[in-house]
Amino acid sequence: MLPLSLLHTAAGHPLLVELKNGETFNGHLVNCDNWMNLTLREVIQTSPDGDRFWRLPECYIRGNTIKYLNVPEEIVDMVKEEEIKARQARRGRENGYNNRGRGQNRGRGGQNYRGGGGQRGGGPASGNRA
Amino acid sequence: MVVLRDGRKLIGTLRSFDQFANLVLQDTIERIYVGNCYGDIPRGIFLIRGENVVLLGEIDLDKEERTNLREIPVEEVLVAQREEMEAKQRLEKIR
Repeated sequence: MLPLSLLHTAAGHPLLVELKNGETFNGHLVNCDNWMNLTLREVIQTSPDGDRFWRLPECYIRGNTIKYLNVPEEIVDMVKEEEIKARQARRGRENGYNNRGRGQNRGRGGQNYRGGGGQRGGGPASGNRA
Repeated sequence: MVVLRDGRKLIGTLRSFDQFANLVLQDTIERIYVGNCYGDIPRGIFLIRGENVVLLGEIDLDKEERTNLREIPVEEVLVAQREEMEAKQRLEKIR
């Protein structure tokens, strides 16, 4: 599953963010977007030296300042369930379009929808069936 | 193994990537090398932002077995690393 989709799945879970300057932010992920901008709540901010700490009720981190994120192990199991659900939803949607009658669907066809869900984040580099 | 711009070496299973080379590593360990010793710190799941990656490569498990490096406990390697940094800083100051 793509990195950014894994991040979306991790919403509501605690994680650790390290910035390029070495500061670390431990908190619960509220939301994220395609630029990796994050909002966290109940955050503990640590200085790069590890000697100063702040507690922030909520914070916003701009994506381009992030070095890496550390997410809990449970996310991987959640990801698998999400993929199963997404696949079922896609199959349900395709069956619905097929039943509408060939004449109306001539322009759209099945091929436009088949790859639509899977290619959200990565075009050429989508060689990941993780 | 992935090497980051800050010099960290992370070893894990590459689960996914995207067009920015953002990576997802599973069962990651951070390996610190000092001299001909190393120490491992288990880290779990990492989502690495692509621009921070210098390089990555597949580990040859056969070569891993034949390495001359010793594994030492984490506490020792961290102490050794700090000593190495302090020595480097002293050299820099002299320059």
